Amino acid sequence: MPVPADHFFFIDPHRCIGCEACVQACTECDTHKGHSMIHLEYVDRHESPQTFPVVCMHCDSPTCAEVCPADAIKRTDDGVVQSARKPRCIACNNCVLACPFGVPKMHTGMELMMKCDMCYDRSSEGKRPMCATVCPSQALFYGTREQIEQLRPRSRPINEFHFGQQTIHTKVRMMVPRESAVTHLDVMDSMFDADAPPEIDNTDDLMLAGATFKLPVVSQR
Amino acid sequence: MAQQPIATLDIIQHFGPHLAYSDGARLDRGLDPDRLVKTHCCFCGQQCGLQLKVKDNEVIGFEPWDEFPFNQGMLCPKGVKRYLQGAHPDRLVSAQERAPHAPGGFAPLAYDAAIERTAAAIHRIQQAHGNGAVGVLSGASLTTEKAYLMGKFARVCLKTPYIDYNGRLCMVSAGVGNKKAFGIDRAANPWSDIIGAEVVWISGANIAECAPITTNYVWQAREQGAKIIVVDPRITPLARTCDLFLPVKPGRDIALFNGILQQMIEHDWLDHAFIAEQTVGFDALAEAVREWTLPRTAEVTGIAERLIRQAAEWWGLAKSSFLMHARGIEHHSHGVQNVLGAINMVLASGRIGRKNCGYATITGQANGQGGREHGQKCDQLPGARDLANPEHRAHVAKVWDVSPDDLPQPGVDAYEMFRKIERGEIRGLLSICFNPLVSLPDSNYVARMLDKLDFYVAIDFFLNDTARHADIVLPGSLQEEDEGVVAQVEGRVIKINKAVDPPGDARQDWKIIQDLAKALGRPHGFTFHNPREIFDELRRASQGGVADYYGITWEKIEQNYGVFWPCPTEDHPGTPRLFERGSHNPIANGAGPFYFPDGKARFHVAPYSPPTEETDAEYPVIFTTGRVVSQFLSGTQTRRIGPLVEQYPEPRVEIHPQLAAQLEINDGDWTTVTSRRGEITLRAQVVKTIRPDTVFVPYHWAGPKSANRVTIAAQDPLSKIPEYKVCAVRVAKAAAPPDYAAQLEPQQ
Amino acid sequence: MKPRALSHETLIAALSGIAATLLVGIAILIGSRRLSHFDAALVGYTFATLFATFGIAYRFVMWLQRPPTAMYWKRGWQVFLRPQSLGRNFVLWVRRMVSVFFANSFIWRRGWIRGAAHWLIMWGCILASAITFPLVFGWIHFEFDGDGFDRYRAFFFGFPTVAFGIESLLGFLIFPGLVWASFLVIPGVMLAMRRRMRSRDTLVLQSFGEDFLPLLLLFAVSVTGLMLVVSYEWMRGYAYEFLAITHAVTVIFTLLWLPFGKLFHIFQRPAQLGVLFYKDAGARGEQALCARCQTPYASRMHIEDLIEVERQLGYRYDVPHGPTDHYQRICPRCRRLSLALAQDHLWRASPTTEP
Repeated sequence: MPVPADHFFFIDPHRCIGCEACVQACTECDTHKGHSMIHLEYVDRHESPQTFPVVCMHCDSPTCAEVCPADAIKRTDDGVVQSARKPRCIACNNCVLACPFGVPKMHTGMELMMKCDMCYDRSSEGKRPMCATVCPSQALFYGTREQIEQLRPRSRPINEFHFGQQTIHTKVRMMVPRESAVTHLDVMDSMFDADAPPEIDNTDDLMLAGATFKLPVVSQR
Repeated sequence: MAQQPIATLDIIQHFGPHLAYSDGARLDRGLDPDRLVKTHCCFCGQQCGLQLKVKDNEVIGFEPWDEFPFNQGMLCPKGVKRYLQGAHPDRLVSAQERAPHAPGGFAPLAYDAAIERTAAAIHRIQQAHGNGAVGVLSGASLTTEKAYLMGKFARVCLKTPYIDYNGRLCMVSAGVGNKKAFGIDRAANPWSDIIGAEVVWISGANIAECAPITTNYVWQAREQGAKIIVVDPRITPLARTCDLFLPVKPGRDIALFNGILQQMIEHDWLDHAFIAEQTVGFDALAEAVREWTLPRTAEVTGIAERLIRQAAEWWGLAKSSFLMHARGIEHHSHGVQNVLGAINMVLASGRIGRKNCGYATITGQANGQGGREHGQKCDQLPGARDLANPEHRAHVAKVWDVSPDDLPQPGVDAYEMFRKIERGEIRGLLSICFNPLVSLPDSNYVARMLDKLDFYVAIDFFLNDTARHADIVLPGSLQEEDEGVVAQVEGRVIKINKAVDPPGDARQDWKIIQDLAKALGRPHGFTFHNPREIFDELRRASQGGVADYYGITWEKIEQNYGVFWPCPTEDHPGTPRLFERGSHNPIANGAGPFYFPDGKARFHVAPYSPPTEETDAEYPVIFTTGRVVSQFLSGTQTRRIGPLVEQYPEPRVEIHPQLAAQLEINDGDWTTVTSRRGEITLRAQVVKTIRPDTVFVPYHWAGPKSANRVTIAAQDPLSKIPEYKVCAVRVAKAAAPPDYAAQLEPQQ
Repeated sequence: MKPRALSHETLIAALSGIAATLLVGIAILIGSRRLSHFDAALVGYTFATLFATFGIAYRFVMWLQRPPTAMYWKRGWQVFLRPQSLGRNFVLWVRRMVSVFFANSFIWRRGWIRGAAHWLIMWGCILASAITFPLVFGWIHFEFDGDGFDRYRAFFFGFPTVAFGIESLLGFLIFPGLVWASFLVIPGVMLAMRRRMRSRDTLVLQSFGEDFLPLLLLFAVSVTGLMLVVSYEWMRGYAYEFLAITHAVTVIFTLLWLPFGKLFHIFQRPAQLGVLFYKDAGARGEQALCARCQTPYASRMHIEDLIEVERQLGYRYDVPHGPTDHYQRICPRCRRLSLALAQDHLWRASPTTEP
C-alpha cells in the first residue's frame, strides 16, 4: 500500500531537545532492524545544547538515486525514497556523498547503504513513522496539512531548498516562521554569509550577559 | 550484619549492572507478538501511555499508543527502550542470602525459607528492642495499591512508626508548600492548560531531559503566542530557545520570586479582587518583600537586572499563565520557601483555577503523585490524611479493622531513619523500590549506616547498589509483571496493566509483603487476593479525605483514559482542574475553592536564606546535581539497558570554560570534585552552558562515580528534602585517572 | 536529469547484445565439434540461452552507459590495472573473491537467514549451471571408456579428459550433480521464502515479479528436475515425458527471465569488487577536505568524479560566487548542520521570539 497522499512529514529542528527518542525508536522499526537511520547531532556541545535531527527529505528528484551506479535506490510512486535494494547496493558511497542533505548511512560491514524510508512498514499501513510518533518536542511531526495548520499558527511549511544553483523540492516539509518572507532555504548562502548571525546562537550572551557572578578564586594547590 | 559480603567488584561481576540489548526474539522482525498490552512507561511521573509487545511471557518490544491523550504516542528514549529490562540477565529469579564464600557474595535461597528467616529476624529485633527498631523504606515508583499496602504493613503488621519513602527525595517540598498555600498537594491543572497560556514560567525544571513529553506542551503554547521564561543555572535545551532565560545562581530562587512579587506590587500588576476574595495573608507578604528591590534581587540571584525586570513585566501583565517547577527549586534546605515564593507569584496574579491559568510541580517518579497520597509517608494516612489527626486516625483504623490507639504516631523522614540507625534506635530495615546508597546525599555516611544494621532485607528485581548490603534479598516484580493504578503528573489516576508473569521465584511485591505478614503471625488485613481488592479497600480508606479515590474504579479509568482525583462518588467525573470558582471540596464545604475551612488560599512570607553551605576560600565552587535524559534516578533499571547507557555512558563534570581555564582543565580531563564529605573524579565537560561559578554532575551512578558522595545532607526543616542542588566544592584537575577507570564498565 | 540520447545508447547496447549472442553461438559450434556432440533434444534450452545472452548483454551495456556506472567501470579498471599496484590488487582480488563471492561474508552480516539462503541458492545455481550449460552446448559429453560399461570418460570441447568408474566416488559426485544442486537450492529457497513471508520489512516492499517469481522459478526448476530423477530411477519412467517438458519449460522461462528480473544482479554484483579497489586507491590518494570544517571526508578522486557525474546527470550543484565552487566540497555533516542552522536563524530573526 502507498503512503497516504494527504500525510506529510514536517520537521522543525528549532524545536529539537536532543533527547534521542527518535534515534532509539528508529532502531525499533521493522525496516531498520536495530539500526538508526536518523542523524542527531550537537552543533557544538561546548557552545550550546543545540541539536538537530536529520531524516530523509525524500526529494522529488533524488540525487542519491541518480548517482547510484547500481540502480539500487528507488523512489516509490508515493514519493518515498527507499533504502538501497540489498541485492544491488555495492556500497560505493556515491549516495552518501551526493545527498545534498547528508542523509544516507553506509554500513560497511554489510556493504549496504541504509537510509530513512519514513518507516515504510508503518507509513504504508497508515501509521506514523516511529521517530515522528515518539518525538517529545514534535520537531519531527507526521500528519496532514490541516493538522499542522491548526497546531502551528506561527509556522509555515516550505519544501524548496537551494544548494548553489541547484533547486531541490522535497516531500518532507520544513517549518519556518509564518511571517518570514522566505520561499526557500539557501543552504550555501547561510553557510558562509558573513552578515548572517554567528553560526552558534549567542550562547555567550545568553549566559554571560544574563548572569552576574564572581569567578571563584581558586587557590593553586 | 548488613555489610557487603565481598568486594563490590566481585558482586558486580555476578549481579551487574550488565547491559541488555535487542537480540534474539527482540530483533526478529518476523515475530508477531501474542498480544499488545496497553500500559504506561515504568519510569517518570509523566507516565506516557505505550503498548508492550508480548510473546511467550516475554516483553519483546513496544508499540506507540497514539490514543492515550497525555502523550499521544510520544515517548522519550527511556520509554522506547524500557522493554529491555525484562528477561534481563541480571534479573533476580530467586531469593538470595548473604554468603561471603559464594561467588558474587550471595547464594540462592528457597523463597519460603527466605520469608521465614526475614520474619524471624524482624521478630527477634522487635522482641529485643521494640517495634520501632525495625524501619521500612518504600518507594514512589510502586503502584498506589502497593504504596498503600506498605503504609498499612508498617503501621498494622510491624506496628512501627518508622516508614518513609523515596518521594522524600523528590517533591516533598512542593507537597508541603502546596498544602500550606492551597490545602491540597496536587498539580492544580491538567497539562492541556499549558497550551493557550500567555506566559509559561519554568523554574528549576530541565523539562527536556527530565519530563521530555512536556516539551511539546510548551512548544505548542509558544505556537499559540506564549512567551516562555526559563530559570535555571544551566542553559538547558529548552532554555536555549526560550524567550527569556534567567541564569539563576543555585539556591537563590526565593530571592527571585520575592523580587518579581515586589515588581508586581510596585507596578500594581495584581489581581486585587482575587487577592481580597480568595486569599489571606497578602498584606504581611507585601510588607516582607518590600526589601526585594531590583538591584538587591539581581545581586542575590546573580541575574542581570534587566532580565528580572522583563520577566516581571511579562508575568505581571499576562492575562493567562502557567508556572511549573521541579526539583531545581525543591531540592534545597529552604525548598518549601522556594515553592511558597513561586505560589505567591501565582496567587498575586490571580491566575489559577481557570482555563490556561495554572500551576504545577512536575513530579519525578512514576507514581510520584499517587505514592505520596496514601500513607507511605512517615506522617500520613490514606487519602492524604494526617497520622497525627485523631479523626483521620479513627476513619482509617475503622477501615483497617484495628483500634486507632494501636496505630503508631508519625515517624521520621527517610534520612532521619539513617541517623536513628547511627544511634542504634533502628536495627532492622526493610526496603523496597528504593536505592538509598545512590540516591541519598552523603553516600559515604549512608554506606556506614547500612553496615551498622543488625538485619537488612531488600525487595528488588535486580540486586541494586544498596541491596548489596542486604542479609536477605527477596525477588520482587517489574512494573509490567503486576497491575494497579498510579497517579501521573497531572493528578490523573491511570491503570498499569500486567503484561507478563514474574519469572522463577520472583513474586509480585504485594504478595511478598503479605507472605511476610503471615510469617510474622499477623496476617489480619493482609489477605488480599489481587490488587483490585487492595484498590477497593484503598478507595474506602481515602473516602472523604482530600485525596478522595472513592469514586474511581479500574473500569472508569480504562474508559476515560484516566480519572483525575478527587473523585468522591462513582458518578463523579473526576477533577482535572482544581480551584475552579464555585467548586466544592470536603474541607471548605462550599466556602471557596481552596482546601481550607474558609475556602481561601494562603499567602506565606517566604524569607530568603542562603544555602546551608556557602562557598568559601577552601571550597569556592557551587556544586549542583541533576539528571540526563537517558538515565532514570539511581539507574537500577536504566544502567542495565545498553542503548540508554551508550547514549550517555558515564557522568561528567560540566564546567564553564572561564572556570576551566582558571583551573587549567581541558575538555575530557579527569577532574576531582571535593566537598567536606567526599570526592569524585570524573571527566570534565567544558561547556558555556553553565554558570561560571557552578559545576554540575548528574547523579544516576553509584560508588566512585556517585555525585552524592559530594552532596550535603542538609534538609529542609519542614519537608525534610535534602539539599541536592547546592553545596560547596573544590575542583581540581586529577593527577591520575581514578582506579575505577580501569576496573568498571561505564554503567557499573 | 533525463532525457538522454536514447538511440545512441540503445544502438551500442543492441550491437553488444548481438555480438555476445554470436560469440556464444560460435562457442557452441566449436565446443560441440560442429554440433556433432549436440543433443538435438536440448535445442530449446540453447535458444533460450542465446536469447538470454542477448538480453543480458543489452541490459548490461545499457547499464554501463549510465554516468555513475560508466565512471565506476572506467575508474575501477584504471585503478585495478595501475602497474604499481597490480600485484597487490591481484592478491586482494583473490582474497575478495573468496570472502565476497565464495563466502558471501557481507550477506551473512545482514542476517544469518539471509546469508544462509543466499549462499545455498547461489552455490546450487553455480553447480547446476556448471553442469548443464556445457552439457547442453555439447561442450562436455561422456563416452564409455574401454570395452566395458562400467567406466566413463569425460570429453571437454571434444578433448578426452578424466575417466572414472560409475560406482566410484567421482561418479557418485558427478552424475547426480544436479540432484546435489537442487538439494542446495531447495532449502535456500525455502529459507528465503520463510523470510519473505514473515519479515515485516520485506512484506511491505516486496513485489511478486521482483522478489517471488525468481524464487518460484528456481524452486520449480529444482523440483521438476528432481521428479525426473525419481521418475526414471524408481518409477520406471512414469510420466517422464510430461515431466521433461515441464522441467524444460521452467528452465527456459528462468533463462528468459534472467535479463529482466532480480537475477540480473548476478551480472551487476561484480561491480562490488571494482568499488573496493576504487576505495583502496582513494584511501591511498589525496583526501578531500570539507570546505567548511576543513576535515577530510572522502577521497579527492571520488569527489571530483562525483562532481563530473552530477554534471553529466544534469545537476547544478555549482556555487558561482562562494568560497568553494561546488556544493560537493562540503562534507555530509556540514550539509546537515548548515540546513539546521539556516532554519534556526530564521526563527531567531523572527520578531516574536525576541524579548
